Order: sequence, then structure tokens, then C-alpha cells
Amino acid sequence: MEDYTKYRLKGSDELATYLSGTDNLFVIACNKCFKEFATVEEPDLAEFEKLAADQGKTITGSTRVDFLCNKTQTQRKLCDEIPEGTEAIFVVSCGLGVQTIADLALEVGADGTSIPVYAAADSLNYTGHHGMALTEKRCDACAQCYLNITGGICPIVDCSKSLVNGQCGGAKNGKCEVDPNKDCAWEKIYRRLEKQGRLEEFLNQPVQLRDYSKTNFKFVNDYVKSIREKRLDGYYGGVHPLERKEATEHLALQTFPEPEVVAIQLSMHAGAPANPVVAVGDHVNVGQKIGESAGFISSPVHASVSGTVIAIEDRGHATRGTCPAVVIQSDGKNTLDPSVQPHKSLDELTPDEIIDIVREAGIVGMGGAGFPTSVKLKPAKPVDTILLNGCECEPLLTADHRVMLEYADDVIFGLRAIVKTVGAEKGLIVIEDNKADAIELMKEKTAAYENLDVVVAKTKYPQGAEKMLIKRVMKRQVPSGGLPADVGCVVSNISTTKAISDAIQKGMPLIERVVTVTGERLKNPGNFIVRIGTNTKDLIDYCGGVVGKPNYAAGETKGSSDAADAGCEITYKAGGPMMGFVLSDLNVPIMKGSNGIIAVDTDHSAEQPCIKCGRCMDVCPMELSPLYFAKYADEENWQGMKDQHVMDCVECRSCEYICSSKIPLVTKIKAGKTAVRGMK
Amino acid sequence: MLITELKSKETILSLTEGKKVFIINCHGCREVYFPLEEAAALQEEMIAAGQVTGIVTTDYICNRENLEVRLNGHREEIDAADLVLVFSCGVGVQTVAAFLDGKTVCAACDTSRLPGFQGVTPLEYDCGQCGECYLNLTGGICPITACSKSLVNGQCGGAKNGKCEVDPNMDCGWERIYRRLEKIGRLDAMKCPTQIRNFATDKEV
Amino acid sequence: MRITELFDRGEFVVTAEVGPPKGCHIENVLEEAKTYLSGITAVNVTDNQSSVMRLGSLATCKALKDEGLTPIFQITCRDRNRIALQSDLLSAAMFGIENVLLLTGDHTKLGDHPQAKPVFDLDSVSLIHTAKLLEEGVDLGGNKLVGEPPKFAKGAVVSPCSDSVDAQLAKMERKVAEGADYFQTQAVYEPEKFIKFMEKAKQFGKPVQLGIVIPKSAGMAKYMNDNVAGIHVPQEMLDELRADKEKTKAGITGIEIAARIIKECRPYCQGVHIMAMGWESKVPSLLAQAGIC
Repeated sequence: MEDYTKYRLKGSDELATYLSGTDNLFVIACNKCFKEFATVEEPDLAEFEKLAADQGKTITGSTRVDFLCNKTQTQRKLCDEIPEGTEAIFVVSCGLGVQTIADLALEVGADGTSIPVYAAADSLNYTGHHGMALTEKRCDACAQCYLNITGGICPIVDCSKSLVNGQCGGAKNGKCEVDPNKDCAWEKIYRRLEKQGRLEEFLNQPVQLRDYSKTNFKFVNDYVKSIREKRLDGYYGGVHPLERKEATEHLALQTFPEPEVVAIQLSMHAGAPANPVVAVGDHVNVGQKIGESAGFISSPVHASVSGTVIAIEDRGHATRGTCPAVVIQSDGKNTLDPSVQPHKSLDELTPDEIIDIVREAGIVGMGGAGFPTSVKLKPAKPVDTILLNGCECEPLLTADHRVMLEYADDVIFGLRAIVKTVGAEKGLIVIEDNKADAIELMKEKTAAYENLDVVVAKTKYPQGAEKMLIKRVMKRQVPSGGLPADVGCVVSNISTTKAISDAIQKGMPLIERVVTVTGERLKNPGNFIVRIGTNTKDLIDYCGGVVGKPNYAAGETKGSSDAADAGCEITYKAGGPMMGFVLSDLNVPIMKGSNGIIAVDTDHSAEQPCIKCGRCMDVCPMELSPLYFAKYADEENWQGMKDQHVMDCVECRSCEYICSSKIPLVTKIKAGKTAVRGMK
Repeated sequence: MLITELKSKETILSLTEGKKVFIINCHGCREVYFPLEEAAALQEEMIAAGQVTGIVTTDYICNRENLEVRLNGHREEIDAADLVLVFSCGVGVQTVAAFLDGKTVCAACDTSRLPGFQGVTPLEYDCGQCGECYLNLTGGICPITACSKSLVNGQCGGAKNGKCEVDPNMDCGWERIYRRLEKIGRLDAMKCPTQIRNFATDKEV
Repeated sequence: MRITELFDRGEFVVTAEVGPPKGCHIENVLEEAKTYLSGITAVNVTDNQSSVMRLGSLATCKALKDEGLTPIFQITCRDRNRIALQSDLLSAAMFGIENVLLLTGDHTKLGDHPQAKPVFDLDSVSLIHTAKLLEEGVDLGGNKLVGEPPKFAKGAVVSPCSDSVDAQLAKMERKVAEGADYFQTQAVYEPEKFIKFMEKAKQFGKPVQLGIVIPKSAGMAKYMNDNVAGIHVPQEMLDELRADKEKTKAGITGIEIAARIIKECRPYCQGVHIMAMGWESKVPSLLAQAGIC
């Protein structure tokens, strides 16, 4: 890979002048960007240190930092690094890094003074700029693109004089007068236009005058300001993928036709799979418990239809390959189990009774992780605030949005139940600002309760991740490896909260949920109330099927998991486009955590080497350096993974989304986490 | 780092008038400005007019290998078009033009420079890549990018209320520099020898 | 004649400026200058003032000189790179125009060709440095000039009433260090600020000419307050201009104000520079009222 050197150490004479008036130096070097990752020698720091030592200067310390220009992360990394007694900081980096440190140094001085910052290097001057992928093509950002009249060859960059009306006449043998190794740009332009038969067009071009006022400082400055604010708003990092919710956000919930057969997975939650308590041939009713909780972190499962158990066997599982499931043939009668009876009123129920109801109803986090809710309701530490997560920051998905609109009273009831159970002071419903109708409705509904309120959050992915949500709303930082309860919070999902209401008010266990079935490849998207255990393929078929070639052969439901295979055009995912799991087999049942089924365009891009652009670090909401995960996973350096705090990763996929090199970072991170867990 | 703005509608329509068009949208530099909605609206109109042979919305077309993969399935649509219209920065357009060098390739956007030219971007800092870093004389504020005139020997005197004469929303770079030097006790830097820029530094390295 | 000689003799130097026309006919400018400005020491000729394209400063200077006046060639860094700047300085010297005023210049965006490429290859400080090099017989590229080197009275500007006068003084110091021989100031309406400024500027030992713009109306004064760098017309002057519209329109109020400022500042400066902006005809009466001529 080409190495784009960013800076070069200043000459020793110049450096000597800066060194002469100072001593006790701390040296900060940037590890450079847009380069082969950590394989190229970077001697600048050592060279500078030697030079300073030769001048008899004391160096109080030195450090290397990746992406020195990332102010937030640099500040964190340097906070305790600079030793007492340091009188000057020398920065070996491009101009961005020096400016960052100069600003940070202003802020450090507790006694009002600041340590002077010196640049030890010059940024290199290469004209033009490359795109995010490294490329030899350049653009001078003249704000008045001329490529339309030059056959796509840039006259501003490629012509030494940046002429826009043809060659200057200085070329000799087609080479530029400034550099005989460089082709005359206008010669190239002429030849290309000739090849395209566009010479006439060129000759008839009106005279071009450059407009140097075009670059709109205000626009650019305001834009930069806004994008930094956006990126740092509420919590560090995050991304803004296209929301694409318009296909389903206005579609009312439909009850999905009752399936003939359901396959109830015994493992739809974090922790131990449930133990089946029915046998093949047994008749079961709607809401009847068919699998018993197998431990503290576990959950029971219930029949979602009435009928006969026809098998207890391994079935496809959206996230875990295949797992044992109870298969029920529906009798179409929907007979309710006698155990399904409303409980006492909320006022009469004790917290422990509520916890029992929630546990027995098989309620687990329905946002995907499937952590048993009853466990969450008994936090080990005092909790003051319940955050109801109405962000639904995943693109495409609208299930929680519709639940808020159509089951507002149930959601409020569920929230009140959680507040009561945990003994919290207040309950906050956090909704992203792209759901104005839900915000309005929830404000109306919470008005009657003094301890409930609505918080509107500016849309940013992954806002719905617990730790981000807590930081945004409560400005509290969940410690590394910690839980929300460590900072006095419990976060609950919208559908889960509604399920708590159903369990208390109707006595109905968790046997159905709202699923958004959508994606640009699906014919008729919609939001459906679906029985747990319904086959995913039935949902797709009900929605009219898909447009394009799927990742499996006609007549089959199973295919290659390698999306790039056989020119397939469609990728199915359980969940949203960001955190969803790719489905290579549509014969998987809907589970408690299935908030969406999507059919989207297949991404054919191939992994490229990391170019160290630093964008993953800029978007990681956990303030990690994902590029190291890619590198260390490839080297199987699990200790390195651990040292880079891989276990803190929430797998939001922001890094993978933004990666210039299309590196499947989350896959590598998951491998790393598994290996790190194994190290213990 | 580059950002793009749509060319005027008249300009784009004058390019495509009466022609069959294949459209390439690049959403590569995610989280960096691209006029998504305006571009989509314009393309809707062109589709309604029956001019469009195909649209690819993809990313990182500045990477030739990537571009090739992305365009592979669209060869026929491209062949059927008189013109390939690219909605991307200038780098993307040039890559497409070089790849489809027998085809008329046009830019639908103008490209502007975005501060923070390397590494994590876009940033609040900018570097003019002048090749002769002045930050030591200016308290760490770049005079090349912070001053409208890129002056290197102090303010021009055109600032009003500390704001630049070119844009009243922009702070005068040298006013900022002076205040910074004052704050860090380095006003002596203002007495440095006269700086004369060297525009002949390495064009490419 | 270099005006530095007059400063050296301790004379109170009076200059005024004229702006070349947008066109190639100079007769009116010459006529006005001869009629109203022949009594003063020298006449500044602006260089595409406010970035508005006009007849060239050097050509106008030459025409004035031919009429027996002493021109001061204003030269900015906006439109020329270091090659053109040096070349024009040499051209001026060839014509015997030795009084120059070296400025950075307004940005192109402020004028009537906002699309133009702003040059700013050099700036005021480096331009003074360059002029001095030429006087030493060397150009900026380090090449020797042929024959006797030119000699200039190198003027520079400073804004004594600027919002950040400390930064102005720092830059003034740099100009002095590079060889500025004298200074003309931005228009002054606050004598107390000017006097304070001069107390500090004294240390540089260079003559300073008080800048005067005759206020034509309250509207003009307000416009300058809102838009022009380093100018602030105090409220009582605005009131004064508003009080009697006819008197103000006739120029009487403006001249009264300007004369008052000159009188108040005179003990602290070494000359006055009048930017009449079309009111060249009023310069003689202003000077008379100020008790100068």
C-alpha cells in the first residue's frame, strides 16, 4: 500500500532555535494515518529525542498516540501522562495534531498557566486531496467542478498552471514544462475528448473563468461545527445511517394470520435453555407453559397456539444455528389455558409478586439480547431511574414505534409496574426526535403521573444501546464491565414493558410480539403482531415475497451464507440492518427478541487492508479503537484484544458501517471476545 | 477531506438534456456531507422523464477495484446510456471517468474542501499543508487556514470587532493568534523575523 | 522628493488621497488635485481601493507627477505576486516616484470582482522587507539589481482606534523592524484613543500621520461604524451630524468635526492624512479651519 507520509521532522537548525530557550520536554508523536497499519517504521520520535538529548535537554517523557487530532480520545489518553515539571511539549505530527495539543495544553494548567506547545515537524505539502480510499486521483476542491468539460481529467490538479481553457503551449513532447516526467494535462484531456468524439463540444465551450469566491467558508465552517456537535452530542461517536423507516412507520399493526405450526425455541433468552415440560402428543393451550426455566438466568416458554405437540427437536435458530424447540400443530381453536387469569391491581401487588409474574410469563428483553426481565427487576444496587427505551435507533425497524402508538396505555402501565417493583423515583420514556407522533402521545399519557416523563433525544445510532442511553439522558457513565444498576438505572425495552402489562393485566405470558417485516427488497412491508414460533419464511411470503435473486436457490430456503456468492441480490436479516443477524435459512421461528425481519440489498464489497483512516475510532460510542481489533484478530493476538478493551464493545457495528476498507469488524470482535473469555 | 454540493439544476439538466443517463451515487464518506435529498429529488425527475437507464447507489467509488465490483452488474445499463452522471466528489468522478474512459462521464456535484484533511475527519482543525509549519509562531493556531488571506506576519487590519472582513461570522485568525500568544505568555513570537512563504515546497512526496 | 525628508526636518506633513477613476480618462482627477491639493505635501493614489477595479495606481501617480504634484504610490499584495510587486516598485522608482505606501490590501471578496483569485503571496510586513531589500540592491530571490538601487520613503498603515490596539502595535513594531519609515493611520474620530495610542507608538520613533475622513452624514458615519475596520464614530458626533441636516449636507459640520480632531491630536503626531472620498474640494477649507495652512 502507498504510504502517505503526513509530516517530516523540521530541520535540526530550526529545531535547535526552539529547543534553545527551553528544557524538560515532553514529546508527543502521532502514529500517522492513511498508511499501512503499524508495520512501517516511524523513526521521527526517536530522531527528535536524540536531537534534544544532543542539545543537553532533559526529556520528561514521551508518548505515541493514534489519531492525535481526535481531541476527545487524545485528551483521555494524555490526561495523566504528562509528568510534573514538564516545561514544554514538542509535538511530532501534522498541523492538526499540533493544533489539538495546543488547545488541550491551554486547558490543562490548573494554576492558570499553560505549557507551551511546539511543532517539531512540518506537514508535507502535496497538492490536492484523496478520497477516503487511498487513490492517486486528486481533487483540489475548487467548488466549481470542471470535469464535465475535460472528459473527467482534472485541469486544476493535473495541469501545473491549473488552466481551464486549454494548454499553455509550454509542453514539449506531451510533457509539462514544469516537470518533464509529468504528462501535459491538456494533452491528456484533448486525447480523451478525441476518443469520445467530443472535440466539437470542446471547441464550442464558452471561455471558462475561475470563481475563487465559490468556496463558501460559512457553509463549510457551519457544516464542520454542526457535524462535530452531531458526533459528540449526548455521547461520543455514533453514526447516522439512513433511517428508511418511511415504508412502515405509518402502517398500523396487523394481526398476522395464525400459523398452522409453530416451533417454540427453548432458548430465546440469555442463560440456560428452558427444559421442556410437555411430551410429543400432548395437547397444549394458548399460554400454557411448555418449557420450565432452568436456572437463575433462564426463562420459561409458553405455547402460542392451542393444539398438539408434534415434535421436540432441533430447529433452525436465527442466531445460534440450530437449537431444540417444541413444535406444535395448531388446532385452530385458540383455546386459552386456564392458567391465563388477570392478576390483582398494580396497587395491591407487591414488588416480589410482580417479579414472580414477570418470571412466570417468560418475559425477557425483547430488544434482542433476551436477558430475563425478572432478574433485571431485582437489581443489586439502588436504582433511582427507569429508562424506557423508545429510541428504536435501528434503521428500518418500526415495531416499538407502533407499539408506543397503539398500546400507549399498556406501555405506561408496564413502566409504572417497573418503577414500583424496583422502587425507583421516576420513569423516563426516551424517544428519538424522528417519532413526533409517539412523543406527543406519550407526553399526553404521562401528564397524569408525576413520576413519569418523556425525554426527546436527537436521533443518533446506537442511542438504544443501554450505556449510550444512560449517558445521553442521565449523563452517567456505566463503568467498564458494569451494569446500568451500577449507576442507578434500569433500562427497559418498549415491547418488553408492554409484555409486563399483559402479564399483569391479562395474565398472558409472552406468546406474541410485534415484528417489522421490511427492506428495499420486500414487496409489501408491514408491522405484524406475530405468534412466537411462526416461521420466518411465512412472514416473507405473506408480504408478497421479494424482488431479485435471493441468497438461496429457487424452491429451497437454505443457501450459502457467503452473501457475495452466485450474484445474489438479497440478504435477509433477523433484526435491523445494523445489529441484525444474516439469515442463510428462512426456516427459523420468530422468537421473543425478533423485532424485525428485513430483506435488503446484498453488500458485495470485499474486505481490503486497513488504511488507518481512523473513522472507526471516531464513531465508536464506547471510545474504543476498533482498528486494533481487526489487526489483533488477524494475528490471533487475544491479549492485545483484551488490552484494547474488546470486552467493552457493545457490537453496535458503527465501526463496520463506516469502515473505509469494509473490514467485518464485528465478526473479528466476536471471535476476540470468545477467545478472551476462554483465557480466564 | 472533501464535501460535495449539488451543481445548479439548470447546469445538470443542460448536461443531460435529450440524453439517456446512467447515474452513480457515492455515499462513501459516510457521515460526511452529501446532498442526499436534493440528489434523490432530481433523479426522481429524470426517471419520470424516462431518461435513466439505471442507478447505482454505492460507496467508495474512488477505490477503482471497488468501483469495478459495483458496476459489474450494470454493464448493459451503462452501455445503453449516452452519459454517466456521477454524484460524488471530484475524486470519484475522475475514477469513474478513467474506468469508463470511452464514455462521457459528468459530475453533478461541486466539491469543497473540508477542514481536517487526514485521519479522523471532519475536524474542527484545519491544516493548509503549507510544508513549513508556522504553528510555533502562532500559539498553535494555523495562520494559513485561520486567516482568509493566509497572512503569516500578523493581521491585515481589516477585522471589525474581532471578525474577519471577508465573513463577519468568522473570527479574525490573527486576533485569535494574538490573544492565544498573550494567554500563553509568548507575545515575543510576534517579534520573529519576517516570514515569507515558500510556494515551491514539495508538490508531491 | 521623499516625504521622509520633511519629517526629518520636523515639518507637519499633510497628505491627501485620490482614487483613480474606473476608466482611462484622468483629466478630472488631475484637475481636482491641481485645484485643491496643490498646497499640500503629497497625494496618495489608492490601489484598486476596496478591491474595486480601477485605473492603475502607478499610472495615475505618474500623471500627477507630470503635473508637478508629489504622488504617494499605494501598493497592495492582493493583486500581485512577489514578482509583480517588485517589478512595480522598480517601475515607480524609474519614474522618480519614491514615496510608497505598502499595504496588505482588502480581500477580493469585498470588491466588484468577488470571483477573483486573491494573491497575498506577500503581506504588508514582507512587502516592506522586500522594498528594503530592493533599496539594498537585491531582490527577494537574492539576485543583484543592476545599477544604482532605488530609494523609497516606505510608508505603512496602522489602526490606532482598533478594537485590539495591542495587536496593532505589535504589527506596527514588525513593520518598523522591517524598515517602515512613516505611518498613516486609519480614520480617527476618538482623539483620546489616538493620543493613548501615540503614547505607546512613540517608542518606535517613526513619524505618524493622523488619518482623517471628513464625515459627510450621520448615515455615512453609521455605515463606517457598522462596516469599516478600526473606525468608531462616537454617539455625540453622530448627534452633531444629525442636528442640522442642511449644515451637514453642505459639509460644514463634517469640516468642523474633522478640524477639531486635527487640532486636538496635532501635538501628538507628525502630520495628517486626509481621505476626502470625493470631497477633495473641501480639503483647503478643512486645513484652514484646522489652522494648518
